[in-house]
Amino acid sequence: MTRLYIKVVMMLVLFSVAGLALAHGERNQEPFLRMKTLHWYDIKWSIENDSTVQVNEEVTMSGKVHFFSRWPEQINMPDTVFLANATPGPVFVRVGTWLNDVPMIQSTGVEVGRVYDFKVVLKARIPGRHHVHPMFNVESAGGLVGPGIWMNIAGDANDFLYGVETRTGIVIEDLETYGVENVVKWHAFWAILAVLWLAWWVRRPLLINRFLWVKDNNWSALITRTDMMVGGILLVFIITVLIVANQITEKTYPRTVPLQGGKVEVQYVPNPEEGLVEVKNHTSEYYLPGRTITIDATITNNTGKVIQIGEFMSSNLRFVNKKLPIAMAGVDEGYPAELVPNKGLILSDDSPIQPGESRRLRMEATDVAWETERLSSLLNDPDSSYGALIFFFDEEGNRYTSEIYGQILPTFFDK
Amino acid sequence: MSVVQNDVVKSEKIEPWKINFKPMILGLLAITAIMLTARWYQQWAAWDYGLDASDPLFDVYWMKVFWAQLIIEPILFFVFVGYLWLTRDTHLNQLSKREELNKMMFWISMLVVYAFSFYFAGSFYAEQDASWHQTVVRDTSFTPSHIFLFYMCMPVFIIIGFSLFFYAITRLPFFAEKISVPLLLVVCGPFMLLPTVGYNEWGHAFWLMEEYFTVPLHWGFVFFGWSIIALGGLLVQILGYMSSDLLPKVLNEKGELTS
Amino acid sequence: MSLTAEEAKLLKAISVPNSDAAKIVRNFDWIVVVVLLFAVTAAFHIHFMLTAGDWDFWVDWKDRMYWVTLTPMILVIIPAALSYPLMHKLGLPIAGTVCGLCLVIGEWVSRISGFHLWAYFPYSLVWPAIVLPGLMLMDLFYMLFRNVFLASVFGGGAVAMAFAPANWPILAPYHVPVVHIEQLVNVADVIGYSFTRTATPEYLRFIERGTLRTFGGESTLVSTFFSAFVCMILFYMWWRIGQFLSNLGTIPNQLKTFVGLEADKDEAK
Repeated sequence: MTRLYIKVVMMLVLFSVAGLALAHGERNQEPFLRMKTLHWYDIKWSIENDSTVQVNEEVTMSGKVHFFSRWPEQINMPDTVFLANATPGPVFVRVGTWLNDVPMIQSTGVEVGRVYDFKVVLKARIPGRHHVHPMFNVESAGGLVGPGIWMNIAGDANDFLYGVETRTGIVIEDLETYGVENVVKWHAFWAILAVLWLAWWVRRPLLINRFLWVKDNNWSALITRTDMMVGGILLVFIITVLIVANQITEKTYPRTVPLQGGKVEVQYVPNPEEGLVEVKNHTSEYYLPGRTITIDATITNNTGKVIQIGEFMSSNLRFVNKKLPIAMAGVDEGYPAELVPNKGLILSDDSPIQPGESRRLRMEATDVAWETERLSSLLNDPDSSYGALIFFFDEEGNRYTSEIYGQILPTFFDK
Repeated sequence: MSVVQNDVVKSEKIEPWKINFKPMILGLLAITAIMLTARWYQQWAAWDYGLDASDPLFDVYWMKVFWAQLIIEPILFFVFVGYLWLTRDTHLNQLSKREELNKMMFWISMLVVYAFSFYFAGSFYAEQDASWHQTVVRDTSFTPSHIFLFYMCMPVFIIIGFSLFFYAITRLPFFAEKISVPLLLVVCGPFMLLPTVGYNEWGHAFWLMEEYFTVPLHWGFVFFGWSIIALGGLLVQILGYMSSDLLPKVLNEKGELTS
Repeated sequence: MSLTAEEAKLLKAISVPNSDAAKIVRNFDWIVVVVLLFAVTAAFHIHFMLTAGDWDFWVDWKDRMYWVTLTPMILVIIPAALSYPLMHKLGLPIAGTVCGLCLVIGEWVSRISGFHLWAYFPYSLVWPAIVLPGLMLMDLFYMLFRNVFLASVFGGGAVAMAFAPANWPILAPYHVPVVHIEQLVNVADVIGYSFTRTATPEYLRFIERGTLRTFGGESTLVSTFFSAFVCMILFYMWWRIGQFLSNLGTIPNQLKTFVGLEADKDEAK
């Protein structure tokens, strides 16, 4: 009977895991890259999870992204970053990206410990069911991916059209095909010329004859006067074509600009609430059999208001204090369920923290997601530590964010 | 891999010149079939099951392919190379020149198959690797493009290359008499591409999260790719031997075969 | 060097039209041609993609500095090495043309199959650069001068000198200015930005990020001349490497007794 029970549980676990095939490979990123770098929150998508858009329709992702103060030493500081989207390749076209309302065609630099507002507008291109995330590429760290939802694209990829108008007045109807005919034409022209030149030589006995002629020093047979003449004409022809083609091109496109490679500056918006609540980690444990992270911490309330702990967030997993309605209200309907663990955040002491009070308490975050998201592999990191954001709420509904970080100690079995 | 041996020694009858292209065509068809099937499989399974290595379906659709390759390829290697060695010609000194010519031409025609398989590793699947890794977030050393590039294309041309090498030193007196250094390079250089994968994966694990193709990490592949220039040296050797030794012994001045 | 009696006899024999000898050497020609086409495609393409590939893959990497400077240097290497066996040993001024053609074919097949059909990138983003005119000029100069020094200076130099002019007719339409989300960029930038390369962000582009003293703004010209200079040296160097690789010779075969041949020490003939 027990064995049957275990079997059923194992099957259920397997199914639940199999149903979670959502990632883009970020799960295998080292936990430090996900826990101590970027924290995404207040993420909104313009469409619901798993809903359908037509080819050519636009969707928007927006929200906040926090760059962790205790930035991992193994990677560069985020001085060069690029706001992007993690999609299975260009199934969506990136129409626009903004960081604190600054257009982000170019890369930028950000400061750690700061929060930025981002917005990404995409246009549906290739039909299918795609998982779509916001993402930051951070130099030396690669793509750091935010929470994602499923989007279905319906329609015909051939109907996709994306155009721009140039500053010189050319209307480009379709960027996918713009200039391609010209490229193919020129490639074909040179390839035909090359084939003709090769045919000129291959039509004659090629190897053994010529090898013997070379040995015989019979160069007049190897390269005849006709060869020299044809070669000379070809040489002049190639150079003439290059010159004429460039003159025509200069006339057709008199105004061009080189690739734009500058870096954009983005000012951060001060967040006076941040850090008003001090959080100090004492000991944190990962209890392997129960998939629970337990944090023993001291919280000092400097806000002047009565506050309560609302959410513990790391690596896109949101452990929400279910006893606090205002925290629950922050979880939108349709938010990817696998990122909001069922049990939520369990506190050893739920009572509000008074202004000026310093309280030591235990927070428990339990979920199979530690395993499925492969965060438990932080026990394999040479630096077994974690980082997270904690959200506090006062009675008026104001939110205060604080970082927490520390060592994590493993417990492999029940004592 | 045998040549039609209808040119019996001591026979007065001279067989007309005929080259047997069948093994070459079969080889080309086999390589085409393997490579296109793999390409089709990628199209079918990469986007759906190949994005996330922690997904159980990745194990089903990709790692199984990988393990199958790891089992089948060494077996094929030893079957081919072992067969060629065990069935070697033990009286190579008695090989008639005409038969040697037939074998030489057969061997060169099989170089076509070797070059064709090298094309898939050096060009087709190699550049495709860029298109995949610059499109997705790499999360394993065994990605849908690596599984075919490193663990299929490379072993395939290594198997063919070593088979050709062993054919040469067991059946062709010219190559058996002394080992040709360009031939060694043409076979061993591309072989070294496979060990270079080790360095590549080490670098990608510890240094490099971002994907661009021209990183110094990849230059090992370039270095060993250069060894194919030795094909020019091999050609010069073969030309020298054929024109000064082999062909004059089987042809008369009128251009007729004499044996 | 002159021919031995045997070789002279062979030369006569293979010159008889439709003879067995002519057929044999023609069969041999064609097989070797096919071997060369596949092998050169593989070797030249892998060499090129791993040293100059990114600039060649993406339209928004094709800049005036790195792309124009680096590509010809990479292009000249293998053709120069193959020039030795092809031109010096066979009198065939085709090394550059063969390499260029093979590279372009290999690239197009990969751009269609890998980049477009598999990874969904549009052709406007992933077209390969034109390399043939420069490499053909290299062959032609080598043929006309039949001297490796002059071939290095003119032929090697031509690979670089022809590169930017050969590509400008296809690249210029992509360098027309555009204002996209309030930013000045060119069409190539917009294409690169729009069609997501998840793991290759903007900052990874090795492109000209600003010039210090190109005076008249002639970045392309400066890059071209520098590249031409390096190409001249590279041509000569790699021609020598080709020479080395073509004359490698042999080493003793320890296994020869297994196939009925006498061991080396007994060969005192």
